[in-house]
Amino acid sequence: MKINDIEARMHSKFPESPLNRDDTGGTGVQWSIAVPISGIRDAATEFDAAGFFLESITALDFEDTFELVYHFNCYEPGSRASVRMLCGHDEVPPSICDIFRGAVWLEREVHDFFGIKFSGNADMRPLLLPEDADYHPLRKTFGKVGAYHKREVIYG
Amino acid sequence: MSEGLLGSELFRLILGLVIVLAFSQLNALFLVWLERKVSGHIQLRPGPMEVGPHGLLQTIIDGVKLVGKELIMPLKADRKLFFLAPVLVFTPVLVGFLVLPFGPGLIIHDMNVGVLLVFAFSTITVLAILTGGWASNNKYALLGAVRSVAQNVAYEIPLLLAVMSVVLMVHSLSFSQIVASQKTVWFVFIQPLACLIYLIAATAETNRAPFDIPEAESELVAGFHTEYGGMGFGLFFLAEYTNMFIVCAVATSLFFGGWNGPFGISLGIPGVFWFLIKTYFLIFVIMWVRWTFPRVRFDQLMNFSWKVLIPLSLVNLVITAIVVKII
Amino acid sequence: MDELEKIEGNERVYSLNLGPQHPSTHGVLRILLDLDGEYIVKADPVIGYGHRGHEKMGENRQYKQFLPNTSRMDYLSGMLYNHGFVLAVEKLAGIKVPERAKYIRVIASELNRISSHLLWFGTYLLDLGGITPFLYAFDDREQILDILDAISGSRLTYSYCRFGGVSRDVDMKFIEMTRAFLKRMEARWVDYEDLVTKNVIFIHRTRDVGVISLELARQYGVTGPNLRACGVAFDVRRSEPYEVYDRFDFEIPTGSKGDALDRYVVRFREMQQSCRIIDQALEHLPEGEIMTPKVPQKLSPPKGEVYTAFESARGLTAYYLVSDGSPGPYRCHIRVPSFGNLNVLNDVLPGTLVADAIAILGSVDLVIPEIDR
Repeated sequence: MKINDIEARMHSKFPESPLNRDDTGGTGVQWSIAVPISGIRDAATEFDAAGFFLESITALDFEDTFELVYHFNCYEPGSRASVRMLCGHDEVPPSICDIFRGAVWLEREVHDFFGIKFSGNADMRPLLLPEDADYHPLRKTFGKVGAYHKREVIYG
Repeated sequence: MSEGLLGSELFRLILGLVIVLAFSQLNALFLVWLERKVSGHIQLRPGPMEVGPHGLLQTIIDGVKLVGKELIMPLKADRKLFFLAPVLVFTPVLVGFLVLPFGPGLIIHDMNVGVLLVFAFSTITVLAILTGGWASNNKYALLGAVRSVAQNVAYEIPLLLAVMSVVLMVHSLSFSQIVASQKTVWFVFIQPLACLIYLIAATAETNRAPFDIPEAESELVAGFHTEYGGMGFGLFFLAEYTNMFIVCAVATSLFFGGWNGPFGISLGIPGVFWFLIKTYFLIFVIMWVRWTFPRVRFDQLMNFSWKVLIPLSLVNLVITAIVVKII
Repeated sequence: MDELEKIEGNERVYSLNLGPQHPSTHGVLRILLDLDGEYIVKADPVIGYGHRGHEKMGENRQYKQFLPNTSRMDYLSGMLYNHGFVLAVEKLAGIKVPERAKYIRVIASELNRISSHLLWFGTYLLDLGGITPFLYAFDDREQILDILDAISGSRLTYSYCRFGGVSRDVDMKFIEMTRAFLKRMEARWVDYEDLVTKNVIFIHRTRDVGVISLELARQYGVTGPNLRACGVAFDVRRSEPYEVYDRFDFEIPTGSKGDALDRYVVRFREMQQSCRIIDQALEHLPEGEIMTPKVPQKLSPPKGEVYTAFESARGLTAYYLVSDGSPGPYRCHIRVPSFGNLNVLNDVLPGTLVADAIAILGSVDLVIPEIDR
């Protein structure tokens, strides 16, 4: 199983990062790993070498930070893993669009909605929003908002 | 005096033109209705039913609507050429009617170069399409026009080569002589390959599906007539159907015995009806093909002409020439 | 026409704006094409014309209020999206679903998958210039819409699945209608094979056109029939079986080359496999409840997150829901398959003809409002 191989490699690559296994399958991912902001390119390279594909990139907006969530999957049963990284509201994470070509659009979408710029992605034009959009609608400071939490409120 | 006037060639020509104008318009309206009915029944639906019995008057209503529409011209279009194109596309097809042999003696002007005349004038159609596509100043229209020219150049050759094999057998370019020499055996039985090549090339010549790439609505929106509305579009539309009638009428005369019944049996039906029955049957076949096949791609279309049809028709012509010489 | 042409170096490039209003872009998709003659040099899809902010709406609403939104993203497979969302929320809140409801959901979902594929089948042939198959396919699709209309009350945007079950039970009439449909389709598949699959012109238009290699598909996250056409039997119904999909005997059709013809064949076989699933589900449809009793009106799932994937008609689709314990999600992200399927065209279109571009665009089966969300 590729998912077990990559788990071992992630352990050795990021010994300090916590890796949460989900054995009950309640969250839909086998395990998730929290990497530092500089580690995402290494993690993506590992996944690419192991033959995974990038399923989605999305962000969560908390009062204290953004959190970027990358979902990787491969063509084997039950092989989804997620890589999470905290990214301060004014930090610029590195782009992985030269590792996964599909990431260009996914990062553009995240940029649209959250205003997170990715360094290394040359094409940061709005994708889904109008060409001249200067707002980021999925930020919790935009429009009608139900709640705006700190990260520990949800994830403890 | 009056008898002299009635019998004169000039009077015959004018009367013929008036009849041709009326006939071609009515025929085109009928064909549009027929096409919609045929397509409807092929597609498990009844087609137009509302206006008149079985929707017979539907196309007349449509015509009235088209005439009543404002003529819209794109801002940067070439004004003169834009209006010239629909007229140019319709005029040459009328000329074709002059030499069509509807029945024995029922021919407006029996020229000894009739076949040549029809094909010479039908080529002008492509010029009109190019004019219309260019003058529209629209990218899709230009692409459609360019496609149309390439397609017509490619298909004119096998078309004429196929016709030539018939002409070689009869030693005449006159329609009435060609038809007369098919009294007992139609040329389709002697020249089946030429007939097939002619029908394929004629379908392409008239831009009918599966060779409708100059209009190719799913690719080029509407191709060369994208910018035309109202009667401008109407004329292109009528010309397409009139053109279809002409190529089928020519096919009937060249390969299916014109006004002759099969194997010399006329069943007491007048020649003109034999002619029309066969022509409309061929038109029906062309419609049938349109509603069955998807569209071929442009390069496949060109390859088919240059690599298959032209060599085949050349071989056919050479064999015909040799056989004719020996006999 | 000088102002219409860009001068790039010594080469003159003809730039063509395909869409947003174009007969073959299926929704409001715009593709900026740079042409050399009829050959495409560069293709840049421009999307977002149908962006309605479903993700933001999800965050501002309660779970049940967002339910009708789900079938408006991919309006052709509304039931599947509905089903997926309900699965995600049930997982998040820990709601159990009765057996009968699971079977009914599977039947409804597979019917919806067939109807979506039938619509694709018709419009794809329309793109290629064949108008008649379009009307045949719509006639068949109409039967499905009638069946789904009978149980859910709508033809396109169903909202039939509920948290803990389905909104209405099915009766004998539904079962008869579905059986009649399955019987009807057996004869239809033969018709379609003769009319389309074996058609020389069709084969020439699609064979070796728009090849998506497996590596390219992986790079762009292509899923669904487009991926399976490359030869990978990857289907969420098999890899992470949800509901009762692990109880049915069905094949996952795959292609080999990843060209437009393979994609066509895969979807065509998939419709037949969906019929098999429906047939088995009708056979084993258990009696019992269709709704779990005591699902609270105001659902407040515990804190946490869930990522639920399911196979929509276009590929791997997923809802990513983060709950903060309130009646609405803190974050609601939807992973849509058409996103990757369109993105890959950036690499596939250059070098092809305009006519091929239409054939490729149709063959990947895009629903633009799903991408725009």
